[in-house]
Amino acid sequence: MTNTIDAKILAKMFLAGAKNLESKKEWINDLNVFPVPDGDTGTNMTLTIMSAAKDVASMEEPDMRSLCKAISSGSLRGARGNSGVILSQLFRGFTKSIRDKQELDIPVFADAIEKAVETAYKAVMKPKEGTILTVAKGAAVKARQLADEGCEDLGIFFEEVIKYADEVLEKTPEMLPVLKQAGVVDSGGQGLMQVLKGAYDAFQGKEIDFSISESEGKAATKASAQSNGDTEIKYGYCTEFIILLSRNFNIKHEMDFKDYLESIGDSIVVVTDDDVVKVHVHTNDPGLAIQKALKYGALSNLKIDNMRLEHQERLFKEEKASAQKAAGPKEKEAPMPHKEVGFIAVSVGEGINEIFKGLGVDYIIEGGQTMNPSTEDMLNAIEKVNADTVFILPNNKNIILAANQAQMMVEDKKIIVIPTKTVPQGITAIINYVPDMPVEENEETMKQEIGNVKTGQVTYAVRDTVIDDKEIKQGDYMGIGDTGILSVGGQVPEVSFNMLKEMMDEGRELISIYYGADVSADEAEAFRARIEAEYPSCDIELQYGGQPIYYYIISAE
Amino acid sequence: MEKLSKKVAVVTDSNSGITQNEAKELGIRVLPMPFMINEETFFEDITLTQEAFYERLEGGADVVTSQPSPESVMNLWKEVLTEYDEIVYIPMSSGLSGSCQSAMMLSEDFDGKVQVVNNQRISVTQRQSAMDAKLLAGRGMDAAAIKDFLEKDKFNSSIYIMLDTLYYLKKGGRITPAAAAIGTILKLKPVLQIQGEKLDAFAKARTAGQGKTIMINAIRNDMENRFGGADADNIWLEVAYTKNLDVAKQFAEELLKEFPGFDIVINPLSLSVACHIGPGSLAVACCKKIR
Repeated sequence: MTNTIDAKILAKMFLAGAKNLESKKEWINDLNVFPVPDGDTGTNMTLTIMSAAKDVASMEEPDMRSLCKAISSGSLRGARGNSGVILSQLFRGFTKSIRDKQELDIPVFADAIEKAVETAYKAVMKPKEGTILTVAKGAAVKARQLADEGCEDLGIFFEEVIKYADEVLEKTPEMLPVLKQAGVVDSGGQGLMQVLKGAYDAFQGKEIDFSISESEGKAATKASAQSNGDTEIKYGYCTEFIILLSRNFNIKHEMDFKDYLESIGDSIVVVTDDDVVKVHVHTNDPGLAIQKALKYGALSNLKIDNMRLEHQERLFKEEKASAQKAAGPKEKEAPMPHKEVGFIAVSVGEGINEIFKGLGVDYIIEGGQTMNPSTEDMLNAIEKVNADTVFILPNNKNIILAANQAQMMVEDKKIIVIPTKTVPQGITAIINYVPDMPVEENEETMKQEIGNVKTGQVTYAVRDTVIDDKEIKQGDYMGIGDTGILSVGGQVPEVSFNMLKEMMDEGRELISIYYGADVSADEAEAFRARIEAEYPSCDIELQYGGQPIYYYIISAE
Repeated sequence: MEKLSKKVAVVTDSNSGITQNEAKELGIRVLPMPFMINEETFFEDITLTQEAFYERLEGGADVVTSQPSPESVMNLWKEVLTEYDEIVYIPMSSGLSGSCQSAMMLSEDFDGKVQVVNNQRISVTQRQSAMDAKLLAGRGMDAAAIKDFLEKDKFNSSIYIMLDTLYYLKKGGRITPAAAAIGTILKLKPVLQIQGEKLDAFAKARTAGQGKTIMINAIRNDMENRFGGADADNIWLEVAYTKNLDVAKQFAEELLKEFPGFDIVINPLSLSVACHIGPGSLAVACCKKIR
């Protein structure tokens, strides 16, 4: 019977939890309620925890205090997406409670889990039940109960807590109707369970097995280094290069290319950035990847490492490197002259980036629904904007929390997060900024004005589901509004048009259309003409957005 | 013994929007502003009509305003002084042009007979200044006192202008850096303000409707917080425009609904402003009435 654990075991458990989450991240991504192509709860949570795991893995003989610091600050900085931010806050609360202990027993664990839940609830403005928060709360309740009952065996304690939390997770569809309709449990809660289960396996000294069962469907393909480091690496060569595009490379090409890479390896990162594509893949035959890539253009910055010969920790570093590459800002770095007020916007698509820059945004963080920037990405951006006051426009509801977290971590500048949930809201916010007015007044006006913007976005469904009483088949196009699915169908223009109809009401006088990378200018113009005919009294503004995955982003205000 | 009051003339320039014909009726003299269009010089309302001006501007011609020549200013003054004892000269805002500065320098040779008013007005508010000066002269005030009065009154006016396009503003360049920052591919309608000194950015609208609402709210705010209340007895309300009179008339009707009982004067914006902001602009202005 084990009554206590020390920092060394806790570190091992944390790493195992991180790895277990990573191994299931694709599966967790697929639990997204909205069958959008870029559901990414699993990815966000994994990147969040990996940011801390990297630090933890590099510790030789961890003591409790430094371990806690590594877990807390690593995950806070790496936090991305709402569930990632909540996970980081759970770790923050948990480690705060145990950092002065040498050994952890059940009462300490019970206190720490409670503290974790309390901290996470505070980080969310309107906590919703049926989410990761509820699952964490379930764990806290059970932990408290076991502690009060005088349970001393940590093995039993962990098992019971996990069992109960799992039961709570299974009930999330009862608490959130959208989950029930979509036939899924909450993805963030599932992510948390992966962490807890992985940690428990390590506690038991289990030979950690990362293979994935059939029932888990399209699960992770990523080979993870084992904690004991003695298992074989499935794909031996870490291969990286940049394609200097000489021909068109649209989202279809990107998907084809990714599919091909998946057939020969894993750990795939493909980031398209204007006229270059950054590629990262682990494979046993780098030549195949290179040959395929040559079809799209010339290659540069080639790097091939034999991973079997290298230390396992390298994997973590790579994780970090590829994550940073994926989210890395593309701006050329030049020292910025000091100004009173600066702007940071999260944006994706060259057209939308240009619009934001033209409106006076100083720094663009590349990202959006497809790649949620982390708190650290925000902090880096804030550092680069040489201004006393920095406004942040997250432009996505899944990024606002990470921005708020960054705001709390910055001390030398005044940071104001305007909680813009969509790109059009961000555009409206900055248009309403008036340089001569005090920042507080501007903040108020901007927050008020974004309330007048309705947004709809059109993309395709990646699986069958039912949501908002609408049946959606894989491959259907969906128009997603501020509060749910507005239209579904087989044609982009039809779906977009019906979506807009749902958005329109009295007093809307401006319709802005931002067309994506996969829509031609002619198609967009035809669509604009159709809207103009339907709403003759409205001003219609058509702009090239260049965003991936979303054919149209449309706003009515 | 009461001193016999002096005969005081009011002279302004064509930036006031007062046409030569109107000037004759009002008993005011108006100095035409010169324009260089494709390096040829024209004089506002003398050799250059509004229609011809916009035709050239929209045709992409290179339109540049210039100061009236010292000679033309002095000749006009000398001519007026053959009939009058003193002149109150009201040039366009010193924040927008150097012509006020030049006039002050030229006036030094006139032994105090020419009083140059530096009250930073333009267009409809400059016009109102000329009318006020005429009124004060009629009450027997001398030129120095009128100058003094108008300069103390200078901030009791406000103009908001909504532009149809950013094109001319970008092309022109006579604008503060804050306004110049609005460089974008979006179709924005900037709302500028002239508050004394300079043409400056006030807000940005995405539609004409929004822009009008912004201007109405701004002018109401000025009336209530600066000019002692939105009261028709207290305030002149003016609408100005570039090129599109119909839109201006419609806007005046909308204003009348917001400010019932006001007399609203509609006037074209002077061409010196128009060449920086382009056609299709709409402005609202107010001035405090003098007691």
